[in-house]
Formats: sequence, C-alpha cells, structure tokens
Amino acid sequence: MRLGAGGAAVLTATGAFVGLLGVWLTGGGGFDVTWVASWDLRLAFELDGLAALYSLLAAGVGVAVFTYASAYLPLHLEHEGRPTTDAWRFHALMVLFLVAMVGLATAQDLILLFAFWDVTAVASYLLIGFDRQHREARLSALMALLVTGVSAVVLLIGILMLRAEYGTTSIPELFERAQAGTGLTVATALIAAGALAKSAQVPLHFWLPRAMAAPTPVSAYLHSAAMVAAGVFLLSRLHPLIERSPVLLDVLLAVGLLSMGVGGVLALASHGLKRVLAYSTISQYGYVVAMLGIGGAAGAAGACFYVLAHGMAKSALFMTSGAVTEATRGRRLSEVGGLLRDMPALAAGSGMAAAGLAALPLSIGFFKDELFFKAAAERGAWLAVIAVAGAALTFAYVGRFWGAIFLGPRPREAGTIPRLLTLPVVALGGLVLLGGVLVTPFADLARDAAATTAGMPVALDAAYHLDLRVENVMALATYLAGMALLLLRPVLGTALRATLRLGDRFGPEHLYIRTLAGLNRLSNALHDIEVQDLRARIVSVLVSGGVLVALGIAVTPFDGVYRVGSLRSDDVALIVVLAISALAALATTRPRQHLALVLTLSCVGFSLAVAYELLGAPDVALVAVLVETILTLLFVATLSLFPRDVLRREAALPESRSRRVRDPIVGVLAGTAAFLTVWAGLSRSVPSESSAERHVSLTEQAHGSDVVTVILADFRGLDTLVEVTVVIVALLGVAVLLRKGRLW
Amino acid sequence: MVTTALTRCVARLLLAPVLVVALAVLVKGYVDVGDGFAAGIIAALGVLLQYLAFGRAAVERALPLRHAPRLAVGGLLIAIATAVVPVVAGGSLLEHSPGAGVDVIKVGSVELITAVVFDVGVFALVLGVAVTVLHLLTSEAVEGAWE
Repeated sequence: MRLGAGGAAVLTATGAFVGLLGVWLTGGGGFDVTWVASWDLRLAFELDGLAALYSLLAAGVGVAVFTYASAYLPLHLEHEGRPTTDAWRFHALMVLFLVAMVGLATAQDLILLFAFWDVTAVASYLLIGFDRQHREARLSALMALLVTGVSAVVLLIGILMLRAEYGTTSIPELFERAQAGTGLTVATALIAAGALAKSAQVPLHFWLPRAMAAPTPVSAYLHSAAMVAAGVFLLSRLHPLIERSPVLLDVLLAVGLLSMGVGGVLALASHGLKRVLAYSTISQYGYVVAMLGIGGAAGAAGACFYVLAHGMAKSALFMTSGAVTEATRGRRLSEVGGLLRDMPALAAGSGMAAAGLAALPLSIGFFKDELFFKAAAERGAWLAVIAVAGAALTFAYVGRFWGAIFLGPRPREAGTIPRLLTLPVVALGGLVLLGGVLVTPFADLARDAAATTAGMPVALDAAYHLDLRVENVMALATYLAGMALLLLRPVLGTALRATLRLGDRFGPEHLYIRTLAGLNRLSNALHDIEVQDLRARIVSVLVSGGVLVALGIAVTPFDGVYRVGSLRSDDVALIVVLAISALAALATTRPRQHLALVLTLSCVGFSLAVAYELLGAPDVALVAVLVETILTLLFVATLSLFPRDVLRREAALPESRSRRVRDPIVGVLAGTAAFLTVWAGLSRSVPSESSAERHVSLTEQAHGSDVVTVILADFRGLDTLVEVTVVIVALLGVAVLLRKGRLW
Repeated sequence: MVTTALTRCVARLLLAPVLVVALAVLVKGYVDVGDGFAAGIIAALGVLLQYLAFGRAAVERALPLRHAPRLAVGGLLIAIATAVVPVVAGGSLLEHSPGAGVDVIKVGSVELITAVVFDVGVFALVLGVAVTVLHLLTSEAVEGAWE
C-alpha cells in the first residue's frame, strides 16, 4: 500500500536504468524488426553511445525525480483539494515520458523517432496541464503543445523530404546516401527548426517559462533532462547530416548564442523560483546548441558532456525550488531566504548542484565549461569572449538563486517537509560533486556519445590542469565577471526589469498570443456564417466544394476529356432506369409533406441500385438496396416521433425566400460541378494495367470468384479491419450520447 | 405503436428465412454476390422488422438480443485474430491460408479458407452493432414518444 504508484514508477525507472547500464557496459546492442513492410518502416533500435547518454540520463534523473514525486504528489494533491487517486495518472504519465525518451534516444529510424517525439509532446501536454482546474495551467499546456507540436509538423516535413530524396528514413542509410546540396540543407533546416523549438531556443523559447505552471516534478524531469533535451538530442543524432551544410551550423551557433544571452539575462532579471530556472534552461541549452554549431570533435564532446552535467544539476535545483515552496509557501525569490539553518541538507545538496551549474572546480560542471571554452577558443577569440560573458551570466544567476534562498534575512519560517523531498536533491548534488572528483565514467559516457555525434572517434580530455592554459584563464575570467555581475545586480535592477517588460510587450510570446486570437476570431466568424441553419451548413459544403471542383476543371486541359460515347441497343434499360432516378431527384424538390419527401428520396436510391445491377455490379447493388432500406426506415421512424400537427403546420408554412432563390442556385452549381467531374472521369481512357484488372486476375488465386468480397477480405483486408474498428468506435459514441456509455 | 395482425404474422414468419438468407450470403460471399457486411445488415433488418411489429419489450423478451454488444466485440476480435495470427506464425498481416495455388477443401460450394473466417467476424460485428444501436435508439426515453 505504501509503495503505490509512485513506488512503482521509481522501480520502473530503476529497472530501466540498471537494464540500460547493463546493455551499454556489455557493448550496446539493438534490434531491427520490420513493422510495415510496404512502406519500409522498421522498428530499429540501437543503444549506441548517444542513445546510452540520453537514455541513461533520462532513466537516472528519472529515479531521482520519481522518488521526489512520490512524496511531492500527495502534498500537492492535498493543497489542490484533489483525491489522492489522481496520483496514478501523474506517475503513469511520467513513466510514459521515460519510455518515450528511451525510445526516442535509441530509435534508428526517423519515422519511429518522430512517433516517440510526438508521444513526448502529448505526455508533456497532459503533465503541464495536470492541475487542470487552473486556467493558467491549461493555457500553458496548450502553448507548449502548440509550439512543440506545430514545429513537430515542420520536423515531419523535413523527414519526408529526406525520404523523398533518398528513399529511406533509416538514419544510418541516410548518412551513407545524403549528398550536400540545397535539398539536404532545406530538409535538415526544417528538422533543426523542430528540434530548436523542442529545446526552447530563441525565438521559440517562450513556452518554457509558461510551462512552469506544471507541478515541480514535471519541471524537474521534463524541463531539465528529458523534454528539452530531446531537441538537442535530435540535433546530435543528425549532426552528420547537419554538418554537410555549413550555413546551418552557423545558424545553430547564432541561435545558441542568442538563447544563451537572452536566457541568461532573463534568468538574472526574473523573480519566480522556477522562472529563474526555466530561463536558465533556455540559456544552458543555448550553450549546447552553440557547441553543436561549432561542430567538430571539440563541439560534439562539449555538447554531450554539457547535457549530462546540466541535466543532473538543473533537475536538483528544480526539486530544490519545489521543496522550498512546500516548506515556506514562497514562490518568489523575495519571499524566501535564510533557510540555511532550517534546511541544511537541502542547502548542501542544492549547493553542490548550483556549484555544478556555475562550473566551480571539484564539480562536474567545471569540466562542462572547460570543454565549452576549449571549443569556443578554437573557433576564435570573439567567440571566446562571448562564451565567458555567457558563463559569467550563468555564474551570476545561479549564485543569486542559491544565495537568495539560503542566505540573508529569513522572511518566513520553514515548515517540515518529508525527507524524500530532500534526499533526491542530495543524491543528485552528490553525483555532481562525484563527477568533479571522479570524472572518468561520466567522461567515457560523453565521449562515446560525442563519437556518435561527430561520426568519428573523439578524444575527451577532462582533467584538472594547474597551468595558465586558455580554458583555465577563461574560467577565472568567468568567476571574476560573474562575481562582479552578482554584486552589480542591484544597480542593474532597473535595466533588467525594463528588459523583462520589453520581452513581454514585444517578444515572440506576444506574437503567439496575437496569432492565436486572430485564428480564433477567423474560425468563429466562419463558424457563424456556416451554422445559421442546417441548409446554410449544407450550402457551405456544396458551394465551396462546387467552386473548388470548377476551379480544378478550369485549369485542366479539356482535350478529349468530355467525349460523348455511342449508344448501344442493350443500354436502353439502363437509360430508362437512370431517367427514372433523374425524375425522382427532380421530384424531391416538390413535395411539402415530409413523408412524401422521404419516399421520393428513397425512390432515387432504389432506382440507382437497379442501375448498379444493370452496370454489372451486383455487390454494389445489394449494398445500395440494404443501405437505402435502412435509411428509409430511419427517416420514417424519426418522422413518427414528431407529433402529427407539428409536421402538418411545418408543411403548410410558405416557402422562404432563401429556399426559392438560394437553394436552386446552389443545387445547380453543385450538380453541374459533380456532373462535369463524373463525365471527365468516365470519358478518360482506362489505363492498360489498372489495379482493378490486377485484382480481377488475382481473384482466382485467392480461391474466390466474387471480386468485391475478395478485395474486401483479402487484397484490402487491412482497410476493412480498420473500418470495422471504426464501426465499433461509432457504436461506443452512440452509447455515450444516448445512455451514458451503457451498451445494453 | 399498434400493428395489424397481418404485419405481426408476416414478421414472425419472415424472421427465420431472413436469417437463413443472411447466413447464405455470408458463407457463399467468396463465390457469389454478398459478403459479411451485407449479411450482417440483412440479419439486422430481420430483427428490425420484429421491433417494428412487436415493440421493443416483447422482442427483447423473446429473442436473445442482449448478447448483441458481445457479438459485436467478438466479431472484432475474430477479425483482428485472423489478421494477427499469420504474423505470429511468421507471415504478413492478414495473410490468408491456404495460400495461392494450394488446393482448398470444399463443402458444397463453400470453401474452407481463413478469409471466410474474417468475413464471419465482420458479419458478427455488423449484426451486433446494428442490433445494439436499435436497442439504444429505442431506449425508454425515446420509446415514450412512440406511443
């Protein structure tokens, strides 16, 4: 009982971590199963270096965060006044996210990868909007879904372009076949756009601070080591393709540096505990994107190591903010402070994590910055300066974050919190510290990942050098500049606040809101036009359909399309039947009595069924008769539900103007368009080897003599299977609407 | 709703023949006109006739219609099974056996092939769904209006 859903989630994550570690230590591995043979889709997974890094990170941080969540969720649900059973939903979604991340990291096929990509987006939507009773949470969840979901469509377009160009979506095969060129550049640029939005890079970064409406464990997981990591993961995974377009690398470098700056400044300016960390994440993944933009062995090594170090440290800091909020109810930096004495263990754990983020020596973060500085300095002096500036910003806001919580005056007492809210922070902080002393296992993991990214063996040198090499000088400069920024922050306050306001006023978030509101208005306006009455709705379908068809006809060449064939003597019966159905169709415009109208309509249907029979399609005729029978009976049954006098009064009403004027015009327009389309289709010469003929010739081999049945049950059996499933779903819909889901 | 004795008599007499026709359309679908869908609709029309003639309560007392939802889901499971079993056996999705060029056991003109099993699944599903929808549409709330 005490184990519960949270415990199960922790066990799952632990199992995943141990299993992945075991496979990786024994040399990796994978499998490759055909999924949909005719589209060449494969379930291809492999635990290579890169996959090992990201999946171990997701599983490892998962263990810590899930442990934290199992203690956090009961408190959270109590505050929100929700039943404790809702925790199941939360833990299940978190585990789903873990599975999706592992799948994403190990997938070797872009379509498969995209499927996991979308699973993460959907799970993230549900997790950010977990507190669904808050409007803010719902809007934030929608924003995250729209930004990452729309950009995922762009990503899919890129994948399909690659498939169209090179005939495969298998990642290793693409590496072999792809040639540098405009096509490749455009396709990889689209993919990169999707990845950058996922990693919350400027200008598509604004969803991440909003996503802080999620419960803290969600942020500690998704917004430090999982969801946002997926973007840079994809960039790493496809780096061998991306680096074939130098211009794209430059764009990545620019976007990364911009995000680093914007995120850093906003993190320094923000006041919310989690907001500071959200902007920090934007900035930190900016580092990674910039390093991927620098490329080469140094860039790849730096990027991979950075993701590893940052994931652990940031997750611990997110959990710290949640624990502090639980203890003091303070959500802003100004509302907390001086907690060092009340919460020494938390202070120590988050202190180690903060040291890691600020790249202090003896923490794993020191090496992340060393590698970053090395890659930057190799590229040029200007980049080295920017790198130091960015790192100094990081140093300053991390220092401010930790200092504001644990040092200074204490505006509020800290209540007691469960030990499980502190333990994961201390554990991750300990790992950050351990990585600073015993860096080899982490460096090996990052080195193998970097080898996959760069497509060649990479040397990753992570060690302390007590000399004045350029990285060390840059690190010293960073500490000094960071300290200066920290001390100068009160002076800079006005400027920082102005920056924040400027961003709110004119930033891309503003554009997003405006676009969304505009689309909403447009859709409402169209909807209002469409649904004035039932006829207006039908008109909107028929007219727009007719106009589109007419346009299509206007731009297609006419030659030989509208042919008039010859008439044979055995066609007489068919012509008579068609004449009857045409007359019946015209007759439907006359009757005012409802029942007469229904019977005239069914006359059209039944005479068409006879026409099918005469055309040699008995199966179609049979189905037409059956469907027509059911429709007629349904109509009559529905009519019998109305009181008699209502129907009589309706029938006696004078014809409205729209009925006399609008409806005939609409009918003629739609009818003409349909007629021309069918005529054009029928007078086209039949291709010599049509699929219909192939089906007929194969029917014998399928042991059948009724082609239609054989097509339905054999050749296109999968379609039939899907369709009958839809029938069941429709039944469930009917049951829900009529009887609250009871079938009988 | 009141129906005449003639309607009731015809409805009663027609039920068995309708079901036989449906069965015939089903099992002979592979060699003659018709298939599982048509057979299911024909059988459902037979049931619909009973509803019209005798009213909901009487029909649901006399005929074992309450199994209809189970019939529908069972039909879906049969159809899915015929699709998936070949995959488990190492073939491709919905691969029917016996395959091309292999002789088929015939009972009269009925051929024993898995495609017919698939069609039986479709039949059961269509009949089950149609009867369940009939039941739902004629539920108490709606039935009051019939009187």
